Amino acid sequence: MKLIYSELKKILPDINVKPQQLRDDLTMIGHFTNYFEEIDSEIVFDLDIKVNRGDCLGYYGLAKDLAVFYNIPFKNLSVETFCKTSLPTLPIQITTDNVKRVMSVKISDLKNSTSPQWLKTFLKCHGSNSINILVDLTNYIMFLYGIPSHAFDTKKSGENLIWEMNSKFKEFTSLDGSKLKLDNKILMINNPQKALSLSFWGGEACAIDLNTTETIIELAVYDRTTVRQNSRQLQAITEAGVRLEKDIDPELIPIAFNHLSNLILENCHGQISSQIFDYYPQKIQLPQIEFNLNQPTQFAGINIPTDFTLDCLTRLECKIDKKTNFNYLITPPTTRKDITQMEDLVEEVIRFWGYNKIPTNQPLAKKDVVDITPPENYLIDQLKDKLVELGYDEVLTWPLVTQAIDEDTVIKTQNSINSEAIYLRQSLIPSLQQQLDQYSRYKLTNCQFFEIGKVFSKIGDKFIEKNALCIYNYNVDTLRRDVLQNVSTDPNINFIGSFAEIILDDLPKPEKYIPQTTVNTAYELTSQIITLDANITLDNQEEPEILIEKYSKIIGNQYLWEIVITDIYHDAKTNKYRYTFRVSYFNTDDKTAKDLHLKSFNLK
Amino acid sequence: MDQNLEKIKLEYLSKIDAVKSASELESLRIEISGRNGKINQLFSEIKNVPPENRKQFGADLNQLKTELEQSLEIKKTTVLKDKLKIENSKIENSTFSLKKVGHLHPVTQTERQLNEVFRKLGFSVYDSPEIVTDEFNFERLNVPQDHPARDMQDSIYIKEPEYLLRTQTSAIEAYLLSQKSKDLPIRAAFPGSVFRNEKVNRSNHFVFHQYQAVVVDKGITMKDLIGTMDLMFKTLYGNGVVVRYRCKYYPEVEPGVGPDMQCFNCHGVGCPLCKYAGWIEMGGSGMIHPKVLQAAGIDSKIWSGFAFGMGLDRWTMAQKNIKDIRTLMGGNLAYKPNEL
Repeated sequence: MKLIYSELKKILPDINVKPQQLRDDLTMIGHFTNYFEEIDSEIVFDLDIKVNRGDCLGYYGLAKDLAVFYNIPFKNLSVETFCKTSLPTLPIQITTDNVKRVMSVKISDLKNSTSPQWLKTFLKCHGSNSINILVDLTNYIMFLYGIPSHAFDTKKSGENLIWEMNSKFKEFTSLDGSKLKLDNKILMINNPQKALSLSFWGGEACAIDLNTTETIIELAVYDRTTVRQNSRQLQAITEAGVRLEKDIDPELIPIAFNHLSNLILENCHGQISSQIFDYYPQKIQLPQIEFNLNQPTQFAGINIPTDFTLDCLTRLECKIDKKTNFNYLITPPTTRKDITQMEDLVEEVIRFWGYNKIPTNQPLAKKDVVDITPPENYLIDQLKDKLVELGYDEVLTWPLVTQAIDEDTVIKTQNSINSEAIYLRQSLIPSLQQQLDQYSRYKLTNCQFFEIGKVFSKIGDKFIEKNALCIYNYNVDTLRRDVLQNVSTDPNINFIGSFAEIILDDLPKPEKYIPQTTVNTAYELTSQIITLDANITLDNQEEPEILIEKYSKIIGNQYLWEIVITDIYHDAKTNKYRYTFRVSYFNTDDKTAKDLHLKSFNLK
Repeated sequence: MDQNLEKIKLEYLSKIDAVKSASELESLRIEISGRNGKINQLFSEIKNVPPENRKQFGADLNQLKTELEQSLEIKKTTVLKDKLKIENSKIENSTFSLKKVGHLHPVTQTERQLNEVFRKLGFSVYDSPEIVTDEFNFERLNVPQDHPARDMQDSIYIKEPEYLLRTQTSAIEAYLLSQKSKDLPIRAAFPGSVFRNEKVNRSNHFVFHQYQAVVVDKGITMKDLIGTMDLMFKTLYGNGVVVRYRCKYYPEVEPGVGPDMQCFNCHGVGCPLCKYAGWIEMGGSGMIHPKVLQAAGIDSKIWSGFAFGMGLDRWTMAQKNIKDIRTLMGGNLAYKPNEL
């Protein structure tokens, strides 16, 4: 959601904060604002509006929030549209319960044209293209109130508009020319002959153009679930759809409708040529919430004065009925469909009081409560520590894999969009083999690593998850020794080549185990390990460990992966010692590695 | 890699590993790479592979050839060195390397750091199944069928619409509350894998890690929540960390709280890392919604609680300077053999 500061000021004339402050304030009261930028001399904010605040997908709702927060007046921009009662009624039909409210009117003798600069700039700041003034005004109203509106060219659509669940049309062409396949689950506006519009996207068949001289405009609220399902089914996301799938206040429609009608009359010089059609079969029911003025204090854990709470609810335009002392019956405004219970009111009060007034230095006090840690968690920690001590590295691999081991018991996902992640793994071995392959590609040698993770299977309709441990060691003998001495003495352990896999359910669990918190370094390899040898000759025999340390320092940590002394040779004739080093370099290219190597061992 | 080739590879790697002498090694090399060796034999079988699989088989075979030849080469060095050792009796301590050091995965390290903070406050470390029902992943968390919040999380279904892979660690919370509703108070923390139907790329993964903590007790307040979260952030990032707590929506909590950490890269000025906001969103939290407690059979008039959850992967990546989320799982994450 974009917000132009100068437009906001039209609704909140008394707002007087710097853009930076407004950004932070919007964020603190729940409308995360990423940044603001200047577009054509306008300051434009970029907001992340949460799904429960459909009312804030327009300036109107955001301004209401800010009016409460800054305690400043809110200016209504809309004026009532007058039309003569002698005008004909529109022959509109609504045949589905998925329409909650529709307001519509016909405007004739229009002169459509390109939009004035202010409107073009407004739309540009909202990432929309200008089409013509009539279309642009409908979009302007959508951004202003958060309620999509639509204009039909009556020469193309006729006046017999029908809101219905589609039953006869197979295809629909949208305003941008996309052809969409229809079925009978789609909510549409049609005439008896043509598919005209989806609930959230206008159609090419009745598109407004510069020759349009007569239009029917409409603003509507629909069953949001139907709009969302239609949008997902047709894979079409529009600004209108994003708004219509939220809870929109049908009571706000007349205000937005009047504003749009007047703007069209003002800018396109037409005249109202029908009575206003207003379909609103079931008025919204507002909740009545029992509320105690001390509840915000109880929730926040800090004192929030009751007079502030009362004032805040008043400014929010709640209907407030006093029952006894601090107990009230609160009816939220129709725009705030997210407020349905006491806790919602509490949040309103606390957010306007300020989350930043809650101290951050008073954590929960320590308390002895029953330990409900599953013993298997203790076992997992214990095994990880043991294996790390033995020199194994922990890896994590994908729980979803490409291939099934046993087609009869494998669990397959239904909708994974990753073709390489279809089945839940039945064993960790193939995943660790892939990890080994990956290490081979990077020319890492002498690897030894492990993973503890879930393996999955199904028996009939029952899904089974078990924790498994899989260990790899390039040296099979060491692997067997490590597993049998440190993990399990069970002779039936699954050893496959250099891998061993053990299901942890079968192992005894410790009653308690508190692991060590260690911090070690891990690296993201970006290129193959480069291994180079070097010989140095010394007059005296040196401790290998000291030599490794010495040359590690000379080479430096940035590219050095490992130093090994592969050979120590004593030449009896010269009485000198020759040390052969094998040095591995990482995340660097051949030339850099060679240069560093030659320099470090003084081989140039 | 093709399963048969995989099997062959393992078999030959074991054979190479077991070689004791240069002559043995040469025999094995001929068996593998000789004119009539196994590799050439496999190449001659390509014609029998169905055309649609041929390309992949060829690639796998080339990979097998490379890996086996590399292993032979490495073994050759060792054997030659042994030979030399025998011929020159004056050679001593022929190989030397520092002791191989094992490492915990960075995500495990972060989990343990957090577990330690919470254990000190009396929390248990809990877990629950990764395959969950819609009820535990959504319904019990106040996300009914038609709720737009479901769009926030594209799920991977096992059996639509009932069974799915959990999309959030809040599913563990729902399970925990249902299991322990008669054993209050509760203090539990739970790291866990969660799944979303996302394409895997540098920034997104279908599986990632979250950490969540839950308290249910009498008289729990937002002050407890914010103070506890702040303690956690200070433990992870040091006392100088700047965190703000703001209003944020999640269906399972009310009031909701969003912790944002001041961007460590730009210190609040705004940069590409924080998308010019100056702050980095660190997760979500709040007071447990009364409907969540009621769904577990807990009387929300007597008991209250807080919950917070956050992603571990991005924290961990920032700490370890890892740029690609794929590195963390089955990727190119590695540890220096002798470095802690």
